[in-house]
Amino acid sequence: MKKKVLAGVAVVTVALGFAVSPADAAVKTYTLAYQGPLTGDNAQTGIDEIAGVKYAIAKFNAAHKGSIQVKLVEADDQGGAAGAGQVAPGIAKNTAIIGLVGPAFSGASIASFPFYKAAGLTLISPSATRVTLTDPTVASDFGGPVFHRLPSKDDKQGPALAAYAIKGVTAPVVYDVNDQSSYGVGLSGYVQTALKANSKVKLAGADAVDGTNAALDLSAVITKIKGANANVVIYEGYYAQAASFVKQLRDAGYKGIFASGDGTYDPGFVTLAKDAAEGARLTASSAVFQDAGAKITADFTKVIGTAPGTYAVEDYDATNVFLTCITKGATTRAKMATCVKTGTFTGLFKNTIKFDANGDVSGTGFINGFLVKNGVIISAGQVK
Amino acid sequence: MQTLIHQFWQLTFSGVAQGFIYVLISLGYTMVYGVLRMINFANSEIFMFGTFATVVVSRDLLGYGSDSQPIHGFTLIWSLALALVVSMIVSGVVALLVELIAYRRLRSRGTNRLAPLISAIGMSIVLSESMRLLTASRSVGSPRLLAKTSLAEIGGANIRVDQLMVVIVAPIMFFVLQWFVNSTRLGKGIRAVSMNEETAKLMGINLNRVISATFLIGGLMTGASAFFFETVYENTKYNIGFNLGLAAFTAAVLGGIGNIRGAFFGGLALGLLETYASAVLGSQWKPVTVFIVLVIVLLFRPNGIFGEAVQQTRV
Repeated sequence: MKKKVLAGVAVVTVALGFAVSPADAAVKTYTLAYQGPLTGDNAQTGIDEIAGVKYAIAKFNAAHKGSIQVKLVEADDQGGAAGAGQVAPGIAKNTAIIGLVGPAFSGASIASFPFYKAAGLTLISPSATRVTLTDPTVASDFGGPVFHRLPSKDDKQGPALAAYAIKGVTAPVVYDVNDQSSYGVGLSGYVQTALKANSKVKLAGADAVDGTNAALDLSAVITKIKGANANVVIYEGYYAQAASFVKQLRDAGYKGIFASGDGTYDPGFVTLAKDAAEGARLTASSAVFQDAGAKITADFTKVIGTAPGTYAVEDYDATNVFLTCITKGATTRAKMATCVKTGTFTGLFKNTIKFDANGDVSGTGFINGFLVKNGVIISAGQVK
Repeated sequence: MQTLIHQFWQLTFSGVAQGFIYVLISLGYTMVYGVLRMINFANSEIFMFGTFATVVVSRDLLGYGSDSQPIHGFTLIWSLALALVVSMIVSGVVALLVELIAYRRLRSRGTNRLAPLISAIGMSIVLSESMRLLTASRSVGSPRLLAKTSLAEIGGANIRVDQLMVVIVAPIMFFVLQWFVNSTRLGKGIRAVSMNEETAKLMGINLNRVISATFLIGGLMTGASAFFFETVYENTKYNIGFNLGLAAFTAAVLGGIGNIRGAFFGGLALGLLETYASAVLGSQWKPVTVFIVLVIVLLFRPNGIFGEAVQQTRV
């Protein structure tokens, strides 16, 4: 009916740490970037993520005062492919940027890859989990050689989400719904495979909804869920739509379990869904920053102004990979690529970070379970 | 198909409730088209402003928060009525502004028909982007004033109070509008301009006044639908009107754009069609099904189901 101007995407340069005095010529300045949703329905994810990046840079700048300073460029892709297509060319052309934390979402990652591959800009995503991003056999989605990520892939999260969703349910009747996004469709496939492999589970049905419309009428899907007498609903999508879905589900009288993956692992889910979010089970390949100790949590809050949120650990670790490389002399895109690809790094929890040839962290990885209780997302431990 | 058979009444009730929301929005399109023979592309943003008006009334004016408990009795009726009236007024005023800025000056200068079309699209973008900047593109939740209580179960259909309110109040508003257009002096003026602008002018009808009134009435109806939508879904954002506006425009075309009765049946048909299609084929097939049906209907009835046949209810 009409053309919509896509949300304008501001790329704002923020200098962190201490200003470089003209008199202090010995100070070398380097630039990193963050790409994720800083506005839009899923902005809370990006806001929490960039806080982790800023904290790592602030600590680095303070520790290297007088010698090295790092600046951060923020790229707001609103979590979508369209937004990514607008910001990625500018980031790729800005040769001052030698590494990028992000993109946060899988769809935005795929849309960004052509620009970053051409520019040779190394990426480390804290939260993009679609399996094909690191699968060289799927050329259209593969982000190599520039793309790397810290979280486990959805082929690990899918079975974990399925297991966590039905945990403690005597006769699980499951209805699976995805948001038709690159992320949601992929994760849904792994969840359904795991459910079908479990003889105790009845997969009552599956559906897909428009994940771009957070105020969608979902009454038909909900009628089907209720008609199937489902006692577990699993949703693969992002938190804004998940909040709308769970609200409509509870309003329709659904009393069973609502479970979702890392796309919904965000305080924004609870804010939007209010009471309807209570009891929701979430999974994410994300650690809880607060588990690193009260001292560093308090310091984070003091430096950034807010408590560490979701994916703060992964963003902190991803940024520190780049910062470690800078201290080792990786001050160009080419050197950064080599350093990230071949180096061994240490994470916040003293975990070893070493990327394999396709960009995943070597090792088995983990998936944590979370529960919404009294309006707060609390950790329920690792899902086995 | 099993779902449709076993859950028929539940799906029908949900489809009718959704359909009445479409009916009121499509009246905004159909009223303007009936008089100007042009599509008001800014109607989706007029709707969007109405939803935000509902949020502002309940959250900022009445002071309810996200953790407030639903209200009851006279306070509930008064609060809902206030939100409804304010939403209608806000949407009506925005519609008037759209007419003044995007249509009137261009019309008075005798520009071709494309110029106001483009200026209306421009207004739509300005309104939408302004709200986007104000809200940082985020969804805005609305406090729950009306508890989503189930009143009864009829034929397996859960009759929820918020949806029932839409099903009862929206048709009343439609029939009041129909009476207004058919029976009042201004309504007759609107119909006269709709039938023949030049003759109406020669008969002494103030064209600008009638056109402004048409935009205002369309805006009021769209504002009412915004209130109902917000009461049911409790969520809005800067581009909320795009999908709903597209659906309502489709409903208007399906029924016969420019025809009030067509908007009524088109909206209801679309609401039911969407719900049934989602149940039978899956939600991802909903838009495909709707537009296939629209194309088929237009192949056989190019002016929509009611077309120009019902002159007395054409605006």
